Amino acid sequence: MDLNHIRNICIIAHIDHGKSTLADRLLQITGTVTEREMKEQLLDSMELEREKGVTIKASAVRMIHRWQGEEYAIHLIDTPGHVDFTYEVRRALQACEGAILVVDATQGIQAQTMAHLFAALEQDLVILPVINKIDLPAAMPDDVAQEIEELLGVPGEEIPRISAKTGHNVEQVLERVIQEVPPPQGRPDAPLQALVFDCQYDPYKGVIAYVRVFNGRVQGTPRMQAMGTGREMEPLEVGVLTPAMVPTHRLGTGEVGYIATGLKTVQDLDVGDTITLAENPAPEPLPGYEPMKPMVFAGLYPSNPDDYEDLRDALEKLQLNDAALVYEPEVSQALGYGFRLGFLGLFHMEIVQERLEREYGLDVIFTAPSVAYRVIRTDGTELLIRSPAELPEPTQIDHIQEPWCRVHIFTPAEYIGPIMDLVTKRRGEVKNQNWLDSKRVELVYEMPLAEILVDFYNELKARTRGYASMDYELSGYRPSDLVKLDILVNGQPVDALSVIVHRQDAYRKGQKLVSRMKEIIPRQLFEVPIQAAIGNKVISRANVKALRKDVLAKCYGGDVTRKRKLLERQKAGKKRMKMVGSVEIPQEAFMSVLRLGDED
Amino acid sequence: MNPHTLLPEPPPMVALEPPEDPRRDRSGRARCSGQPLGLYIHIPFCLERCPYCDFNTYAGLDHLFEPYVDALVAELQGWAQALGHPRVDTVFLGGGTPTVLPSRLLARILESVAQAYRLEPGCEITSEANPGTGDRPRFAALRSLGINRLSMGAQSFQAHELRFLGRGHGPEDVVRAFRAARAAGFENINLDFIFGLPEQAPEDWADTLDQALALAPEHLSLYSLMVEPHTPLFHWVQRGRVSPPDDDRAAWLYEMALDRLEGAGYIQYEISNWARTHQAQGDPAAQPTYACRHNLHYWRNEEYLGVGAGACGHLCRGAPPLAWRPEALHGIRWENHRPVAGYIRRIQDRGHAVRTQDPISPAMAMAESMMLGLRLVREGVSRERFARRHSRGLDQVYGAPIAELEQEGLVEWVGDCLRLTRRGLLLGNRVAMAFLPD
Repeated sequence: MDLNHIRNICIIAHIDHGKSTLADRLLQITGTVTEREMKEQLLDSMELEREKGVTIKASAVRMIHRWQGEEYAIHLIDTPGHVDFTYEVRRALQACEGAILVVDATQGIQAQTMAHLFAALEQDLVILPVINKIDLPAAMPDDVAQEIEELLGVPGEEIPRISAKTGHNVEQVLERVIQEVPPPQGRPDAPLQALVFDCQYDPYKGVIAYVRVFNGRVQGTPRMQAMGTGREMEPLEVGVLTPAMVPTHRLGTGEVGYIATGLKTVQDLDVGDTITLAENPAPEPLPGYEPMKPMVFAGLYPSNPDDYEDLRDALEKLQLNDAALVYEPEVSQALGYGFRLGFLGLFHMEIVQERLEREYGLDVIFTAPSVAYRVIRTDGTELLIRSPAELPEPTQIDHIQEPWCRVHIFTPAEYIGPIMDLVTKRRGEVKNQNWLDSKRVELVYEMPLAEILVDFYNELKARTRGYASMDYELSGYRPSDLVKLDILVNGQPVDALSVIVHRQDAYRKGQKLVSRMKEIIPRQLFEVPIQAAIGNKVISRANVKALRKDVLAKCYGGDVTRKRKLLERQKAGKKRMKMVGSVEIPQEAFMSVLRLGDED
Repeated sequence: MNPHTLLPEPPPMVALEPPEDPRRDRSGRARCSGQPLGLYIHIPFCLERCPYCDFNTYAGLDHLFEPYVDALVAELQGWAQALGHPRVDTVFLGGGTPTVLPSRLLARILESVAQAYRLEPGCEITSEANPGTGDRPRFAALRSLGINRLSMGAQSFQAHELRFLGRGHGPEDVVRAFRAARAAGFENINLDFIFGLPEQAPEDWADTLDQALALAPEHLSLYSLMVEPHTPLFHWVQRGRVSPPDDDRAAWLYEMALDRLEGAGYIQYEISNWARTHQAQGDPAAQPTYACRHNLHYWRNEEYLGVGAGACGHLCRGAPPLAWRPEALHGIRWENHRPVAGYIRRIQDRGHAVRTQDPISPAMAMAESMMLGLRLVREGVSRERFARRHSRGLDQVYGAPIAELEQEGLVEWVGDCLRLTRRGLLLGNRVAMAFLPD
């Protein structure tokens, strides 16, 4: 297919603004997928994605549309919808010439709309704004059009007002794509440069690279090379996505398709890398490649030590499909053998956690998440730590640096006060305040990443009745007065409960953790002191009183089986607890560090 | 009578090399000693439901009294046939409130028991009774039916506590009913009390105990209030209308009772049960003469029959309609269908109302011996009895958990018997759990 009849586009939108529904409608109108084949939100293939209403992994599909007697191949590249996947979003945008910007007619522009929009503008994409959900009674298409006009300079009346749900005006969107999005550029006779914008593991074909060919072409399955990592591959097949994989034996310049790379794990191929031919390589890769950088770390342990091998198998399988997930073995005194996992962000961590429990049926304990701290030792050397346990002796530490990020919050103006309060409690600094219109404002803050990891998003939503939206990007490391807060149970430090906190918060958090532990740790046969300490200094203390009474008042003939089963359940519950020294600690204790809210 | 008219189609019995006599193991030793059975008869009717009670009982089913008793009689006869008219040394009419039934219906039940079973001389025949509904002629009628032990749900001597518990009687009714029962010839009377009510004042509990002791009943049962699911009390606690019972307070009230009852000459023989003795007060060898012999069957992990809606039974032998399965060689526990109308219909249709059967594996039988036997705080579990029942040594099977519990101060050896310490009394679940299979 010649370049002039190809269009590469993506859809960008805030969560729930209708991206997937619009994609479904486009697939239907172009006949790519028949009614019968149409599942709700076809592109979100994982069960979890459908439930959470967000797209985790990008995918792509080729649609053929006839317009004015000619056939066009429109490649629709789906982008992940969450802040943790900014890098993947950027690579997906890089593969396109145009982007449909979907804005919800009832909600207007939100933080992620902006974040993705700026990313799209950075890639010089042609932006086609559309206003969705005009079928809803609460729709305010004219107000939203006004917002978009102010933002993009597109005359408000020219913005299509659609309903992806009913299909109203969606055909018009396709026409605008063909008319306004430029065809791809590129030199068919140059050496191959194919951008990997996503990759997935297929149990039959190994690692599948989703690619956009910028220059050159693929003919057959010659030996190839990933330029960033230098890894060579012997591809099994190439083809297009309809959205099923259809082998075509060739991929032309400007086209989007897949390469079954023959690689065995997704770790062997990075998103953003450039694939070229081994025999006739391109002189340089396409720009934008960065190796994956996990930002959030947490310990993961099987509830039952016997499940360690199963957990490792599950992680291996998960990693096949999630290149961003990294892990290595870790040993905790309290929790035994487990792993240290690295995630792109808190959302990514939640997804991994749910998948482990849901898809692999594993009962696991996650410890409190931590960011990667930079420790400058007194001898001038530097150490990157991802767990409080790795912190060196205080005497060896010159100072510690922690990652900061720039946070963008979009909110109705009446919530500025509560947000300001939340952000300052979390050591945030005000950077900017941009009015979008008379009612809505964009707030820009600088905050430590550690402060937004734990419950910040939920708290933000709670304080703004769900109206605020946020996005963040890392902005660098800064020195910080950080200390390690240890929790001692029955006089013994429990390593899995240690956290790194800012000195000024240590006392408050220590008290809170101690009182939380006191609630969670069940009464034992003896009194159990719980202490929070910095180094040798105890800053808070509480006692779990000894268990006085745990006995059934009655057990008669009619009760024996029932009472026995009751005791069996009680015993099973006891077994699920972790023995630390001689104290039984329930699993939720290890997660409770996560819920040190700002109030009370 | 042809047993097949009662038990028309017993479920197929699957046996794996069935022993000649299912009461004996392969080496010919008796599993259960062939001792007389306990017989429990459930009367699932009450005038009104108490908000804390989760027993299988119903108010407002008076129209079912007659057909229910018909069904009971049929079930009693069916089991008697199936087991070859076994010996019975205790009968317990429980509920519900057995005394809501007119005397002629109670008479029918007890007559059919006497006809179909071989009652041992001195057989203990207990009926539960409600202090609100008994007067002297009524108690005399019960006595004349052969009932020789009464168990009365007094619950408290504090008017406000009785109101909270939803009881229809007042403190004075308890005294009146007790005296009426005595006058009617009852020489063995139990009073039930509940403690650990939300915010219960210790002086109120002390007063209840004092008034109870003043009546000098032969037996006392003191139950810590439990919030059982599916009861109104449970919902009150869930919605915060009533504060949940406080275990520390209950423990304290319990220990208060331990001291007072001991001082009054009562012997605690089970976690919640005390009995008077014939022997001289203060005699260390004194036995709880008035211990409830029927309940001892339960705690000694012995055999008993349960008849009536929702009643449970435990046998170490196979008998129709219980399916004799290889894994059940150490016994079966079963439960009857609970709703009254459904129970009656099943008895009419197939002669039995067994709803669930729980085969007892050897490991489970041993665990139950411990869980139940250790509730008997005086006799505990003896090595000798354990070995006789299970053909295995107590130390051999449970050496490790016993050592651990001893170290925690929850159990102790007294001669050949393992039993709870005073501390272990209040932590019985911890102890019982240690013996359950993982």
